[in-house]
Amino acid sequence: MLEISGLTTRYGAISALRRVSLTVGANEVVGLIGPNGAGKTTLLNTVAGLLRPAEGEVRLEERAVTGDSPDRMLRAGLALVPERRRLFAQMTVVENLRIGGVTASAEERSERLDEVVELFPVLKEKWGTAAGYLSGGEAQQLAIARALMSSPRIVLMDEPSLGLAPVLVDFVFDLIGRLRAEGRTMLIVEQNATRLLEVADRAYVLRTGEIAVDGMASDLLQREDLFDTFVGSARDEDSKPSEPDTR
Amino acid sequence: MQGLLSSRVGSQLAGSAVLVVVLVLGGLAYASSGAPARDILVTQMLINAIMVIGLQIYIGNTGVLSFGHMGFAAISGYAFALLASTVQRKARIVPDVPLGLDAVSLNPLVAAAAAVAITVVAGLVVGLGLARSGAKSGAVAATVITLALLFMVHEVGGAYADLTGGRNGISFSVGRGLDGRMWVYLALIATVVLARLFKSSRIGRMAQAAREDDLAARAMGINPARGQMVALILSVAVVSVAASLRVFQLGTVAPSTFFFDYTLLTLVMLIVGGRNSIAGSVLGVALMTVVNETTRHLADVEIDGGPMDVLDIVLRPGLTDIVLGGSMLGFMIFRARGLVEDWEVDHWLRRRFGRAEPVPDPLKAAPTPAPAQLSAAGVTVDFGGFRALERAELEASNLEVVGLIGPNGAGKTTLLNMVTGLVKATEGTATLTTRSGPGSGAHSATGGEPFEIARSGLARTFQNLRLFPALSVRENVSIAALVASQHRAGPDRPSVEQLLVHAGLWELRDRRARELDYGNARRLELVRAAALSPAFILLDEPTSGMSNVESVAMIDEVRALASAVGAGVVVIDHDLAFITGVCDRIYCLDQGRVISVGTPTEIQADPQVQAAYLGAAAPAATG
Amino acid sequence: MIDLLQSLIDGLGRGSIYALLALGIAVIFGVMHMVNFAHGELITVTAYIAFGVVVTTGWGWWAAAPLIFLGAVGTSVVIEFVAFRWVRGASDFTMLLTSFAVHFLVQAIFVMTMGASVRSFPRPEWADRIWSVGELNIQIVDVAVIGTTALTLAATVFLLQRTMFGISLRAAAEDFDAARLMGVKSNKVIRQAFILAGALAGIAAIFYLMRTGQARPTTGLSPLLKGILAAIIGGLGNMQGAVYGGLLLGVSEVLLRSWLPEDLVGITDGAVFALIALFFIFRPQGLLYVRSAERV
Repeated sequence: MLEISGLTTRYGAISALRRVSLTVGANEVVGLIGPNGAGKTTLLNTVAGLLRPAEGEVRLEERAVTGDSPDRMLRAGLALVPERRRLFAQMTVVENLRIGGVTASAEERSERLDEVVELFPVLKEKWGTAAGYLSGGEAQQLAIARALMSSPRIVLMDEPSLGLAPVLVDFVFDLIGRLRAEGRTMLIVEQNATRLLEVADRAYVLRTGEIAVDGMASDLLQREDLFDTFVGSARDEDSKPSEPDTR
Repeated sequence: MQGLLSSRVGSQLAGSAVLVVVLVLGGLAYASSGAPARDILVTQMLINAIMVIGLQIYIGNTGVLSFGHMGFAAISGYAFALLASTVQRKARIVPDVPLGLDAVSLNPLVAAAAAVAITVVAGLVVGLGLARSGAKSGAVAATVITLALLFMVHEVGGAYADLTGGRNGISFSVGRGLDGRMWVYLALIATVVLARLFKSSRIGRMAQAAREDDLAARAMGINPARGQMVALILSVAVVSVAASLRVFQLGTVAPSTFFFDYTLLTLVMLIVGGRNSIAGSVLGVALMTVVNETTRHLADVEIDGGPMDVLDIVLRPGLTDIVLGGSMLGFMIFRARGLVEDWEVDHWLRRRFGRAEPVPDPLKAAPTPAPAQLSAAGVTVDFGGFRALERAELEASNLEVVGLIGPNGAGKTTLLNMVTGLVKATEGTATLTTRSGPGSGAHSATGGEPFEIARSGLARTFQNLRLFPALSVRENVSIAALVASQHRAGPDRPSVEQLLVHAGLWELRDRRARELDYGNARRLELVRAAALSPAFILLDEPTSGMSNVESVAMIDEVRALASAVGAGVVVIDHDLAFITGVCDRIYCLDQGRVISVGTPTEIQADPQVQAAYLGAAAPAATG
Repeated sequence: MIDLLQSLIDGLGRGSIYALLALGIAVIFGVMHMVNFAHGELITVTAYIAFGVVVTTGWGWWAAAPLIFLGAVGTSVVIEFVAFRWVRGASDFTMLLTSFAVHFLVQAIFVMTMGASVRSFPRPEWADRIWSVGELNIQIVDVAVIGTTALTLAATVFLLQRTMFGISLRAAAEDFDAARLMGVKSNKVIRQAFILAGALAGIAAIFYLMRTGQARPTTGLSPLLKGILAAIIGGLGNMQGAVYGGLLLGVSEVLLRSWLPEDLVGITDGAVFALIALFFIFRPQGLLYVRSAERV
């Protein structure tokens, strides 16, 4: 579905990503974990077209889409739920949803509105509320629902549990589980690595702009040295990050 | 000669002289080869140069776009005309002039001086207003306030005929003095020298720092309002002198003398050459004078119609304005910083003729500093409905390196912002206690403006790098050292040069900060903070975007620098290899609360920390 | 009391025009973060269109009005395409000066092609008629402008609230990148903002020109400044605030004019300006500023 190869992104002189390659298959949920500053958000923003890659290629369903603008990526079937949700706080819930479907025709839009509301009934109750007044859980649902309005074939999510109370974190991961059960293809960035690995099929660990480890989520979850792999420890300076999991 | 050109002020004086000589000789060469009209043109050009450099002093150094300077010029022009004009003439043109001005007729020099004084008072009033409005580079409120001044003066000039002669203005002749161009030359020399020295003066450089990044400047202990005020006053004084000269030369002052047309002309001259440079201003004046003359000349030429009818439409009086407006637009789109950016003649002189600079001695560790303590207690910060911090605390002494870790959104940066005064706490306080020397009492500082907090001894860096991009590497550091020399006690601070060598930036010292690669930019931000000679250096993610190797190297750099200036360190970072390597103690935050405090080993073993990072159901024991 | 009511009506008549201009400025500021000092040029251009249509062709005002409207929209789009597109995302200083450059340039083009002198054209004869209600004397043109502005604002609200065009525009004004992620095209949404701003200015221009009946290269300056002031009073980028700011400015101008002593009437604009300057000094963020955290 999504193939990223040798992707490098720079902010001015900074290389935030260095030759990152990863793939997401159809109906697969892929996790991307790693400490802050590792380049996870940069990766998603580059793939979604907000940033231009310096090198490398992005292919979506066999089509090269490297460096396309966000609206073209969206039309090609890729939607991003951005970090910190970026809801339009002064606009109502329904307006936020409608803007999510801006690329669709009016009929499609109203159909999808019905579908999305079925998935997230709470949004129906808050229909006319400004998004800025939603609670954390409602806001996250709206952010995901807004992305689904474009009927994407792959959804990228950036830190869906960020800033949520523990109860709501559970809720968000349940939600992701539900979307997974529907067969949605997703690439999810999370700080909450354990929880993400529980719902993902496969995962990549990104450190300082490079893929350090990758493997099946269930295997990564079992690894004793996950914490070290994840944030790096003072002791493994010289040894290169562990070799990719071959199982 | 070489000695002169090696010293800063010497080379600046020499550079100024070169500028004036080139401009004047160029003008004279043109004037000598033609009609008397050319002579007037040259005088106008020289006066325009004074005016434009006057604008440069304010707009260039502060980045605030002022449309009010021609308002100041008009005030000055009217004052000069009213004071210097003969009694007889005034009785004819403005018979009802108030304030007993009808009986006054001063020597032109005295009148010009009085005009400057009056205009400077107006400048003070406007300057206070600008400061109150929080003027900074590109601020719209400041532009509108200055625009309001321009229009006010224009309307008063048109409507208050008793004083100003109404729409026709005050035509003017002085009986004595100010003959020839001597005074113009003197004023020009004085202006060029003043502007050049101001650009490199302490206040001028601080104003430039605030222009480049208002927030970073305030976090470095700079009060932007001060530099802006001084720049405004100097600038207004120069503009006022130029206005008197212009009125004298034109022989009249009317509302239209100093209004939109002249604003446009002078602004274009300023931005074409480079608004941050005196050489650029002079270049712009010369260039636009030539362009203007050429187009005016073309517009005067009678071209036979026929197939060339298009030319007949194009070559009309409006052409000069089109060229001016077009130049402004073109330069904004293609070269917003102007032709020479901030280059000055003395830069070249010093490189060409000056002596090479010796590499300074290496940096030695500072003697053990007087103890200082940074404490934050019970800090709660709410943003609207969102609670970023909840009763967070922090204790650090200046003999240790303290880390702040925690997942994204835990409130680490908010805590740093609160401590440095950029964010107001809903509850709780942060206090810096310093003991300046043995026997003297402890001094505590709580709260205040960011620049006051910085002066009291807290220097910081920013997560997303806030250097002064257009200033050189050396200038970035020396501005902080300048603040330190004015506000921080302690005789043996390391020199700017030593710090640059220490950070490995010596070879890059004359580069602009924006040209540095990322690692060097981070290093520069670090030494800049150290140059403030603070009690504490607060670092926000110093290794973000660095590779493993670089961030490990950063451990030694941070520690060495801290000990060289005798400062404690509070550092936020996500790279655990870095943080465990550099820190003596670590605070772990999660969801706005401190969940764990301890040595790196303790923190790493704490299951709560692991849970915060990895999620609620972290594996029980690792690492 | 009657005097006050009279001033209020006169003021709303003036203020309506300012409100429409200010709203356009706010819309553009929303998507580009640029204060458009070239907005007044839409009125300058259309003044010459009005002159051309009314005087040269003799078609009269009913033909002029739609052409003025289209002229304003077209000019707005052209200016965006020629100038503002290229400085998108540049520093505040650059954008500010770019819009001034366009302002000067358009002015210069008219000086060159039409001359600096005033071109007068007849105003519609009904505009000056007075409609007396009791002691109130109401100018017909005031009624027309207040009514049309009310309708226009209602239409704009509908457009912004109910249509995808409006929702995209508001989304882009609130968070440009997030809107792009939703599939909003940046070029398109900015062009649309300029179309909307041009349309609002076009309606304002029709009534402004009916009142003044003059075209000269500097025609747009005074309404531009009022529009900008109104937009800033309302808190830049705040569309609702811009409308209130415009009405407030219009009313205060008329009140000031009626209170000021006779020989100072000439400097009403200056006095309004001075008040505005004072206002900024004490409230630089505007009347209805929405506080947003400074990103560090």
